[in-house]
Amino acid sequence: MMKRLQLDSDARRGLSQISLPLAFSVLLLAAPLAILLAMSFWTQDFLTLDRTFTLANFKEAWTSPVYRTLMLRSLKISIIVTVLTVGLAYPAAYYMSFVAPNNRKALLVFLITIPFWTSYLMRIFLWKVILGFNGVVNGSLMGLGIIDAPLDWISYNQFAVVITLSHAWLPFAVLPIFVVMEKVNRSYLEAAQDLGDTPFQRFLRITLPLSMPGVVAATLIVFIPTIGDYVTPRLVGGPDGLMIANMIEIQFKNANNAPLGAALALSALVLVSSVAGIYVWLNRRYLQSEGAA
Amino acid sequence: MLKTLKRTTTAIAVAAMPSLAAAQELIVLDWSGYEDPGFIGAYIEAHGGTPNYSFFGEEEEAFQKLRAGFEVDVAHPCSQSVSKWQLAGLIEPLDTSRIDRWDDVNEVKESFAIDGEYYMLPTDWGTTSLVYRTDLVDASKMDSLQVFLDPEYAGRVSLPNNVDDIYALAFLATGVTDWTEATQEQFEAASAWLRQAHPNVVTYWADGAELAQLMTTGEASVAWAWNETPTTLIGEGVPVAINREATEGSSTWFCGYVNVVDGPNSEDLMYDFLNAWMEPASAEYIVNEWGYGHGNQTAVAALGAETLDGVGLGPVSAPVLAQAPLDNQMREQMIVEFENIKAGF
Repeated sequence: MMKRLQLDSDARRGLSQISLPLAFSVLLLAAPLAILLAMSFWTQDFLTLDRTFTLANFKEAWTSPVYRTLMLRSLKISIIVTVLTVGLAYPAAYYMSFVAPNNRKALLVFLITIPFWTSYLMRIFLWKVILGFNGVVNGSLMGLGIIDAPLDWISYNQFAVVITLSHAWLPFAVLPIFVVMEKVNRSYLEAAQDLGDTPFQRFLRITLPLSMPGVVAATLIVFIPTIGDYVTPRLVGGPDGLMIANMIEIQFKNANNAPLGAALALSALVLVSSVAGIYVWLNRRYLQSEGAA
Repeated sequence: MLKTLKRTTTAIAVAAMPSLAAAQELIVLDWSGYEDPGFIGAYIEAHGGTPNYSFFGEEEEAFQKLRAGFEVDVAHPCSQSVSKWQLAGLIEPLDTSRIDRWDDVNEVKESFAIDGEYYMLPTDWGTTSLVYRTDLVDASKMDSLQVFLDPEYAGRVSLPNNVDDIYALAFLATGVTDWTEATQEQFEAASAWLRQAHPNVVTYWADGAELAQLMTTGEASVAWAWNETPTTLIGEGVPVAINREATEGSSTWFCGYVNVVDGPNSEDLMYDFLNAWMEPASAEYIVNEWGYGHGNQTAVAALGAETLDGVGLGPVSAPVLAQAPLDNQMREQMIVEFENIKAGF
């Protein structure tokens, strides 16, 4: 009797602790997703929703060349941005963790956050100014006599989208890698050196596998939001830089086709999860082969 | 502690909802920029201040906001939205007997009558036409809309990211001057024309400020633009010219105020607001300061031909495609097709 009561109070405490976040996620995440899912099987004729079940939206989302192109373009841009940011973030995090003196680390972390002091929209406009026709890059190159006419290929295209996104997401990639590197036991490094590893071998066998969880976190943190980015392609993308999120917005707003928008959004979700899933799986295999997981 | 918290949150909530705090203040859902007190001098004089404004960047945004239950008294869409908003049950007819200068209102008002009832008071209009940088392109070639297809201007063309203005251009360029009569074949020809123009486009401009920037730097040297932009640029000394008399013509658009269903405030305020807009002083202000036309055609005519020509609103000898309300099905088709073209298909 006593025991059951205790268990109940435990359970109650557990439930009371979990209930608020649970209600929050059910209300704000699960419910909208369920609505989105339901909507993707309906159709819309101008302003009226037809609630008959159909797969037509998914068929259109996956067979129409426009949506396929936009989907693949988003995937491509997002992968390039991820590779760039994580590639640049890794050495930065490495420096912060292994090279910089301990009393400087806090300062470096602080410096990394500087881009966040300005709103993201402001940073996009800054890139417009930098990459613009009479912008900083073109102005400087022309002033130095390297080029005669402004470069066209640096603004209003996919290149500009990649640059803007990479700059914005770099801090998000540095921090998780840095945190994981901080936890790498330094005595392993000494042991590897004592056993005759060159610094490069030591890096490959100790530092890289042990910092991999940070790289995975950084990759996912950058990859998942960038594939669905909406404002960057809209502002710096020009005609060939539009991404799938722009099309989803158009379907919900201008085109009065919320069901197709829902199907596109869910398709993008599936695409992101499968690419992320494959990546995590590959990474786990790598860590297993290194004996680190 | 809890009490203080409650009080603070209540205060914040009240501050965040001016509509509740000031129940007798008109709420206007408008394009950003239209809060200019010069448009409604008489209202400000009568009520001691401007109404409350809430802004939108494009009509579809306003439409979705209203559909989601946002409560306003009066909103400012353009010609294409009237029938859509009416079908969605968002707006109700205007009582024209309460608009003092109804007889002076531009005859375009008839386009916004549905079943004999008037749904929009046309207040402001402008033109969309060929605009170019006189120092960067050969002015003698700027007499036809086909310049948009000329490979010489590849990457130097900017077209509007606005389905009405862009199809006005495409229809004109393919020889249609009244789009309400356009057939499916003509629509397809217009779309094909846009598809041909697409590779030349550096970017589709979203608003006048963006285009002004593109044209000032020279990144765009040829554009299809609202007359407000070149008017402003010329004022700033940028070498820009408007050609409303290109062989194929130019276009005009109209916007105005609609009476939103179940507005939270008294309709008296709304009619005061609409009457203030129709004052000749407002007409003079918008023409001179904004380069836009005004819905009070008597007042606009009174400004004289010289003023109107100066801001690009005078009569022209080339064809004019008025952006009159379209059949909703045709417009839906235009929206989808324009998105395909922008995506490169």
